[in-house]
Amino acid sequence: MTAGSSRVGRTSVNGRRPRWSPLRRREALTAFVFVAPVVIGLVLFMAVPLVASLGYSFTHWNLIAPAPTFVGLDNWFALFEDPRIGVVIWNTVKFILFGTTSFLFFSLIAALLTFTPRRFVGLYRAALFLPYVLSQIAVGIVWRWMFNSQTGPVTLGVELFGIPSPDWLLDPATAMISIALVTTWQGIGYGMTLYIAALNGVPETLMEAARIDGAGPIRRFWSIILPLISPTVFFLVVTSIIGALQLFDPVVAMTSASSAVGAAGGPDNSTRTIVLYMYNQMFNLNEQISGIGYAAAIAWMLALLTFAITAIQFLLGRRFVYYEGLAPSARTRRRDRTSTKRKAGA
Amino acid sequence: MTAVEAAPRTAEPVLARGERGGSTSKRARGALYHAVMIVIVLSYIFPVVWAASMSLRTNEHMFDADQLIPNPITFEHYTNLFTILPDFWRYFGNTAVIVIAGTAGTLVSSALAGYALARFRFPGRGILLSVLLLTLMVPGQVTLIPQYVVFRELGWIDTPLPIIVPLLFGTAIATFFFRQFYLTLPRELEDAASVDGAGAFRTYFRVIVPLSGPAFLAVGLLTFVQLWNSFYVNSIYLSSQDSWVVTQALQSLVGRYNSQYGEIMAGVTLVSLPVIVLYLIFQRWIIRGIATSGLAN
Repeated sequence: MTAGSSRVGRTSVNGRRPRWSPLRRREALTAFVFVAPVVIGLVLFMAVPLVASLGYSFTHWNLIAPAPTFVGLDNWFALFEDPRIGVVIWNTVKFILFGTTSFLFFSLIAALLTFTPRRFVGLYRAALFLPYVLSQIAVGIVWRWMFNSQTGPVTLGVELFGIPSPDWLLDPATAMISIALVTTWQGIGYGMTLYIAALNGVPETLMEAARIDGAGPIRRFWSIILPLISPTVFFLVVTSIIGALQLFDPVVAMTSASSAVGAAGGPDNSTRTIVLYMYNQMFNLNEQISGIGYAAAIAWMLALLTFAITAIQFLLGRRFVYYEGLAPSARTRRRDRTSTKRKAGA
Repeated sequence: MTAVEAAPRTAEPVLARGERGGSTSKRARGALYHAVMIVIVLSYIFPVVWAASMSLRTNEHMFDADQLIPNPITFEHYTNLFTILPDFWRYFGNTAVIVIAGTAGTLVSSALAGYALARFRFPGRGILLSVLLLTLMVPGQVTLIPQYVVFRELGWIDTPLPIIVPLLFGTAIATFFFRQFYLTLPRELEDAASVDGAGAFRTYFRVIVPLSGPAFLAVGLLTFVQLWNSFYVNSIYLSSQDSWVVTQALQSLVGRYNSQYGEIMAGVTLVSLPVIVLYLIFQRWIIRGIATSGLAN
């Protein structure tokens, strides 16, 4: 309190608005009440568990024993010795490489096909968006049958062309790719919606000018459209990779051998993901290395992996993402100034 | 099936005027475009339609290619489903409790915080915003284990509480959405109210909330759909069969009744029907909500 009032005295001498006028203090107090639930939630369900989870990663506990035992860095060393960790990370990377790329590509195609307002376009968009509102479990179960090697429409469809169909979910070489195809199918509507919003922000005058200059459709796409929608591409890349690292539901729906949730990840562990392996460590006693403790270490490894990958993307994003020329905002104006400075310097 | 038939009605307002007249080549190109789009769209939603159709076929026609519209139509798989899982409606009830309480909690807490972040100046506002942004990067699995241990201590396993209670404190995404929405509302609204002598709370609840309908609807729908469909968190906390939600019930059919496609597809159809109906009614709001939340980056 005393510190606050002395500050008030100092700033009013400078003739500026006092920093802690009664009005502003009241505003701040009101704000604290408004944000209180969210802040309490952040502490109770984010900050405290984050620290506690790190703590658990130094213990051994199978949830049956009365209390965890401290084992130091054992779980963290185990991460490097456990051959399964390499497998589940590789499976997740496979999914990202295939699934994220196809998601970004096909949703852009869907957006380019449907962003011009014309008759029935709303209907096409509505249909392409529909799978996104369904549950991944329901979708996974349906596609599990679509991929069935005897009666599945996908298999029959491929064989219609006279070529032998792959065994999709039953072959370790194609199982993860099949799952990626399904999540792409389900996510296209989401990606398309964001791309359309971005495409609507591309000024028509710019496109017209390029057309007059003789730029063909491909040139116009690479030189004008893609740079202008690059913030959306960047957003989709970052968020879809964060999501992909946590892949779980589709794998369970499409690969579980029995109704037990933990019995998924086959064939031959080719679709077992980081999160599924963590689930096994929590609940499947025959798999457990160090129970909850090892599961916590896996979870923290996943978090660190996520931070690292996201940080790399932000560094790369600075180079490839183009923020100028969007709706005039303070940020744009500032960037414009720096870019002219850069040009002047060069 | 419902998707194909009912979609045109809801989509109509979105449609722009078609190109009338024009040269023959232009019209031919338009026809080609629509032909291509119809093929793409139909093959795209084929799995959804086919699954619903399978749930109505007799077993002997289950794999016939000409059974898109089942002939004869049978509801025996739906009756069988309730023999396999006699408590199927119970899972719907369990899910509804989580979805309704979770959506309501998310809306109230996130709207309040989003409003404060958009309108009030207070120390720590910038930090709060960046912390919220950072939490979007934190995988839920990291915070799950300690929460699981505590909720187990409290005896909350096999009850909906571990899923509902954290949602009562709002979510980062919803908070961002509301902040974004409130930034677009003109400040004059509050100024007029404060001239009349109303305090911040009165102003918010009397003036701002009635104007927040679109934001509440968009966030509410997205949260609703997401909670209805969620599986991972539920599978952690709800292990006894009596406490299951619908996605768990669906998952339990796989493996146990692998060859009974009629029953499995009947389950898929029943569980998907509420969100499909919601989507067909509120399609524009859901899509607009998605577009806005993406732009908030």
